[in-house]
Amino acid sequence: MRPLDWIVLLGTISFIVIYGIWKTRGSKDIEGYLKGDNSMKWWTIGLSIMATQASAITFLSTPGQAYEDGMRFVQFYFGLPIAMVIISITVIPIFYKLNVYTAYEFLENRFDLKTRSLAAVLFLIQRGLAAGITIYAPSIILSTVLGWSLTITNLVMGVVVIIYTMSGGTKAVSVTQKQQMAVMMGGMIIAGIMVVSYLPENVGFTDAVNVAGSLGKMNVVDFSFDWDDRYNFWSGITGGLFLALSYFGTDQSQVARYLGGKSIGESRLGLLFNGLLKIPMQFLILFIGVMVFVFYQFNQPPVFFNEGTKTKVYATQHADELRTLEANYSSIFEEKQQAMQGLVSALKADDAAAIATAEAQVENLNTAGKEVREDVKALITKAVPNAETKDTDYVFISFVMKYLPAGLVGLLLAVIFSAAMSSVASELNALASTTVVDIYKRSVNQSGSPAHYVTASKLFTVGWGIIAILFATFASMLDNLIQAVNIIGSIFYGTILGIFLVAFYFKKIKGNAVFFAAILAELVVLYCFYFTDIAFLWFNVIGCVAVILFGFILQNMIGKKEKELIQV
Amino acid sequence: MKDNHPVDEEPAIEKPPFFKSWKGMYWLVLGNLAFMILLFYAITKYYE
Repeated sequence: MRPLDWIVLLGTISFIVIYGIWKTRGSKDIEGYLKGDNSMKWWTIGLSIMATQASAITFLSTPGQAYEDGMRFVQFYFGLPIAMVIISITVIPIFYKLNVYTAYEFLENRFDLKTRSLAAVLFLIQRGLAAGITIYAPSIILSTVLGWSLTITNLVMGVVVIIYTMSGGTKAVSVTQKQQMAVMMGGMIIAGIMVVSYLPENVGFTDAVNVAGSLGKMNVVDFSFDWDDRYNFWSGITGGLFLALSYFGTDQSQVARYLGGKSIGESRLGLLFNGLLKIPMQFLILFIGVMVFVFYQFNQPPVFFNEGTKTKVYATQHADELRTLEANYSSIFEEKQQAMQGLVSALKADDAAAIATAEAQVENLNTAGKEVREDVKALITKAVPNAETKDTDYVFISFVMKYLPAGLVGLLLAVIFSAAMSSVASELNALASTTVVDIYKRSVNQSGSPAHYVTASKLFTVGWGIIAILFATFASMLDNLIQAVNIIGSIFYGTILGIFLVAFYFKKIKGNAVFFAAILAELVVLYCFYFTDIAFLWFNVIGCVAVILFGFILQNMIGKKEKELIQV
Repeated sequence: MKDNHPVDEEPAIEKPPFFKSWKGMYWLVLGNLAFMILLFYAITKYYE
C-alpha cells in the first residue's frame, strides 16, 4: 500500500461514516430510529437494497467465480426480478396497512405469538451467522494485505460499522449506502476499464471477449436440467425466485429498507429499481472476472493466488518442491503465450480451422497449468495442513494489488470496505430491530417508554455487532464465501418463506398447524443438507413446499380432532 | 411504539412515473428480464 492508497481508502471511509452520523443526528424516537421516519425516496431505497445485498463477498468472490467457472453464476439472479414484482404487489401493501416495524409482526396478526417468535428466531440465527461471514470475508483479505492480525482487522471493520449504525439507526444505514453504492460501482467500472487497457496492444476489447468465448467463459445461460447443478436456468428461475422472495420479503435486513419508504409507491419503485438493475450489475462484476481471466492468458498468473499461504509453504522444508512447481508453471505459460497469439490471429482472421487448432493448444496448456496448480494445492496441504487450498476469492484482489496504480488500489479497497460496511450495517440494524420489536418488547418488557426502546435498540446493535465480530474471528475459510452465505440463507429461508406464503395465500391453515409444519420442514431441509447432494438453491423450494404441505396435513388432522371434540 | 393491529382504511397508493398503472411498471421489469435472458442466450450460442 502506497501513501496515496491510504489517503484514498481512509478519506473515502471517513467521509461516508462522518456524513452518515452527521446526516442522521437527532434520531431520538423509535419511529425515526427503526423506520427512518418513513422519509426515504425510491432511489435511496433502491440503492440501499442493492448495497445491502452486495457485500464485500460479492466483489471478492464473484470475479474469482467467473475466472474459474465463466459467466453462468448470473443465472442465480433470474428469479429476482419476478420476486420484486410479487413482493411489490402482495407484501408491501400488507406491511404498510399493518404499519409494522418488522416482517414478523405480521405473523402474530395472522397466526399467533409462537409462530412470530419462531420466524424471528430462525431469522436471528441465520442472519447472525451471515453477519459474521460478512465481516470475516474482507478481513482475511485486508489482514493479508496490511499484515494485521485477523482479530484486529475484524475489530476495526466491526467497530466502525457499529458506531454509525448505533448512532443513526435505519436512516444512517440507508444514507451511507447511497455513497457506498457510488464508490462500489465507480470502483468496479474503473477496475474493468483498467483490466482491458492492460491487455496486449494487438488485443482489443472485442478480441478479449472472443478469446473468453473461445475458452468457454461466455457460458451465460444453460437450459439443461440437473438437480445437482448449482447454476442453470431452472435452478435460477425457481430456486432463485424462492430465495429472492424469502430474502426480500421476509428478511428484516431487506424489509427494513423498504419499510422506511415515504409511501407504498416509493417502496415499490425502490424494489423494482433493484429488479431492473441487479442482473446487469452482477453481469458486469462477472464480466470483470472474465476479463481478468483473459488478462492472465497474456500475463503470468501466480501459481496460487493467496500469497500469504505460499509464503508459509516457502518457510517449510517443502520450499524447493514449490519452487520446482512454479518453474513448471512458468514454462507452461511461456508456451501458452505463443498459442494465445495464434488464437488471437486466428480469431481476427475468422479462420475456423486455425481457431480450432489454437483453441485445442491453449486448452491443453490450460489443463497442464491446472494440473500444476492441483499439485501446488496438494503440496500446501502437506506443508501447512490447516491452510485453505481454494484461492478463487483471492483472484481479483491479487490482480488489484499487483497491477493497479497508486490511488486505485486504495479506491478498490474502499469498494470492498464499503460493500462490507453497507451489508453489515443493514444486518446489525435488522438483528437489533427484530430482537427489540419481536422478542424484547413483545415478550420481555412491554411497558418501556419510546426512549427506552431506542436505547435497547442501540444496545442490541452493539451486542449483535460483538457476536458478529466473535463469529468472524472464529470462522475458518469456507468452501467459497459467497456460496457459504447463500447456503446458510437457503437452509433457513425456505421455511421462513413457507410460513409467510401460508400467511398470505392459505387462509385455512391456522397458527398451530403452521408452527409445527415449520419445525418439520426445517428438519427436512437439515436432512437434505447433511445427507443428500441436492444443490443448495433447491433447499429454498423444499423448505417452502414442506411448510405448505405439512401445514395442510396438520390442519386437516387438527380440524378433524376439533370436529370430534365438538361432536362429543 | 405503534401496535401491530390492522388499520381500518386501505393505504393510498399513488400512480407510478411514466405509466398509467403499476401493471405497466411490472411488465417493464418482467420484459427487461425476458430481454436479458434472450440476450444472454444469444451470447452463449454465439460463443458455443
